[in-house]
Amino acid sequence: MNTLITILFLVFAVFILVAAIMTVTVKNIVHAALWLISSFFGVGALYLLMEAEFLGVAQVLIYVGAVSILILFAIMLTRDLEGSQNRQLTPRWWIALLVPAALFGLLIVPTVMTHAWQLPPPPAGQPPSISGAQQIGTAFMREYLLPFEVAAILLLVAMIGAIVVAFEEREQRRRVLTLAEQVRLRRQRQQQVATLPEPAVSAVQPSEATGGET
Amino acid sequence: MTDILRSWIGSALPDWLIVLIAYLIVTTIVLFYAVGNFILMVWAERRIVARMQDRLGPNRVGPAGLLQPIADAVKMFTKEDIVPRNADRWVHLLAPVVSLAPVAMMLAVIPWGRGWEPIDLNVALLYIVAVSAVSGVGLMMAGWGSNNKFALLGAMRAVAQLVSYEIPAVTALLTVVVLAGGMSLLNLPHLQAGVPIMGATILCNDPAGCSPLLYTTITSFPGSPNEPVQALDLGLGWWVFTPVGLLGFVVFFIAALAEGERTPFDIPEADSEIVAGYMTEYSGMKFATFYIAQYILNFALAALAATAFLGGWQGPGVAALANMGGPWVHAAAALSAFYLLAKIWILFFVMIWLRGAFPRLRVDQLMDFAWKLLLPLALVNILSASLMVSITQWTGAQWSGVVNLDGFASWQRQLIAVIVTAIINIAATYWILSINQRPAEQEWDEELVVAP
Amino acid sequence: MPSMTEAVPLPWVLTLAGALFCVGLFGALSRRNTVGILLGIELMLNAVNINLVAFWRYLEPNVVAGQTFALFVITVAAAEAAIGLAMIIAIYRARQTVNADEVDSLRG
Repeated sequence: MNTLITILFLVFAVFILVAAIMTVTVKNIVHAALWLISSFFGVGALYLLMEAEFLGVAQVLIYVGAVSILILFAIMLTRDLEGSQNRQLTPRWWIALLVPAALFGLLIVPTVMTHAWQLPPPPAGQPPSISGAQQIGTAFMREYLLPFEVAAILLLVAMIGAIVVAFEEREQRRRVLTLAEQVRLRRQRQQQVATLPEPAVSAVQPSEATGGET
Repeated sequence: MTDILRSWIGSALPDWLIVLIAYLIVTTIVLFYAVGNFILMVWAERRIVARMQDRLGPNRVGPAGLLQPIADAVKMFTKEDIVPRNADRWVHLLAPVVSLAPVAMMLAVIPWGRGWEPIDLNVALLYIVAVSAVSGVGLMMAGWGSNNKFALLGAMRAVAQLVSYEIPAVTALLTVVVLAGGMSLLNLPHLQAGVPIMGATILCNDPAGCSPLLYTTITSFPGSPNEPVQALDLGLGWWVFTPVGLLGFVVFFIAALAEGERTPFDIPEADSEIVAGYMTEYSGMKFATFYIAQYILNFALAALAATAFLGGWQGPGVAALANMGGPWVHAAAALSAFYLLAKIWILFFVMIWLRGAFPRLRVDQLMDFAWKLLLPLALVNILSASLMVSITQWTGAQWSGVVNLDGFASWQRQLIAVIVTAIINIAATYWILSINQRPAEQEWDEELVVAP
Repeated sequence: MPSMTEAVPLPWVLTLAGALFCVGLFGALSRRNTVGILLGIELMLNAVNINLVAFWRYLEPNVVAGQTFALFVITVAAAEAAIGLAMIIAIYRARQTVNADEVDSLRG
């Protein structure tokens, strides 16, 4: 049974990492969001393997059921209709690759592998009691009551803040542009960019000035 | 099932293989059960809605049209699978799968009979809620992957409806969690033993013990006294007969109608408004998958409502048969499965009935209904449930000396709890309904605000 | 009943969490699309959560603090995703773009 658990862990680990790497490398932002959702599932499965059932189910409920839908809505409301010809990586992406790789290889792995984790010895007869949903509930009502209430107020503030930030006054609310209007807007932008004086140091290629992802 | 298999072939195979095979067999049985019910449900819906609309419904294929779903299935299988040219191929393909898989996962934790639940999770109710939230992602994928503005719009509205009605549904289920003292679905039918309204509180007075045909030994009741007691058990102590359970059931059932996109909440698939909403660009087997997902979701939600509020597999005779021991336990399990199926079908009949009777709600009416009516009722219900649990089960010490109900018998405490919660629920329902029927308040009119 | 603590050594789980964090960091640093940056941030938060739950499970499984901490991280991540996406929508309305390189009016 131990080998089964090890195999399961390795399968989940590979799945999570592959999904994460696909998230950060695919061009199409909708595909990236869907790969992120897969990685959320993988992490939830890992929590179940670690016998944190409430947390695993909460992860699926909150991340896949709510945050993912939020992300998909935001992607669909901020679409640029030009297609995905633009590179989605910044010009200095190799630095962005070097820093995490160095962090992982030079800091995380040596620390983790060589540290003497003081794992408690396996108990003699019975398996250790693992705190479950009921203990979490009791703890939230006793020791962690204040953080619980503060988290509730935090969520309320986040909700109100999101509504305020994204709210559009009725008279400013734009309707969906027709195709003719989109073409006219695109031509206007290209003319603007073409007549702009070239700055000395430009980090943005002209053809990608209209930017954005699909 | 694991134990049965272990006893048959335990010596021949390693243990993990037996567990795996056992779960595979149970999964197959549950899926066949659900799909068999789906076929009957399709037929029943078309015939019953037709009768309500004063017409006959399909009656050509097979006796009384019973083979009509088979004909539909053949049609779906043989239809051409059309994918729009600019659609996102993979997203378009995976959307029906992501819609159907969570629904099938929901079927795994529901106790289908006495002792017949596939898995006993101790966070089962939260698991069901989490898994039903995942089908929203499938909807978004369907709307996006169709490369169709109307499909996208329909998907966004469907997701808004799904997410909004999750909240009253979860809050109504929270009532059940409070009453049961845990999130496990296995215990719920056991806790709903007894007699209507009074639950399992009419105890046996005879010191020599009472007949096991009528009285069940209660040991695992949360807050029950330490020694096992025998309570009168007709299998009818369903929570829907108490005020708390009644309000919770009504709120949950309406929210489940909206989750399953049944009329009057079927905006996402309103043919006259938005073609087929997020399913517009789907044809053939993929559309059939969405269709199956919707019906099995309704089946699972009806099963959940039956388990949580209507007593699940509890019914007259189940406890009596089980208490007789021996082979009668299997008869009790079969009877209990029949009871659950009957309850599910009664609830589904009510769903069809509502479809035949009501017009569709507008989108803003839908949102108002969820946030301004159902959610306040559900919150009041949690308050009532907490009062009910504390009146019937708390000792004087837990009340911190405010009220001491230790001296009362359990049936008296139950009666007090029922009366108190009935008053609170009726008053709150009346108040919230009357608030919602007031005409919308006037906008502040600048001219009317006159400085003194 | 065999459990994960015997089958999988703790450093493996921590390495997985570290790798996930680094992948998320790469995504957050290298993506142009602002929503893409947010996806990287969500990956990093998930990695932190895996770390917390691993430490809880291996070192102190009978104390509930580890799971509670992880639940709070999930809560805060959800709140932050909501506000971040609202800001992205507001920026899109003002500037018609979600490209992080183009929102540079404060650049010197």
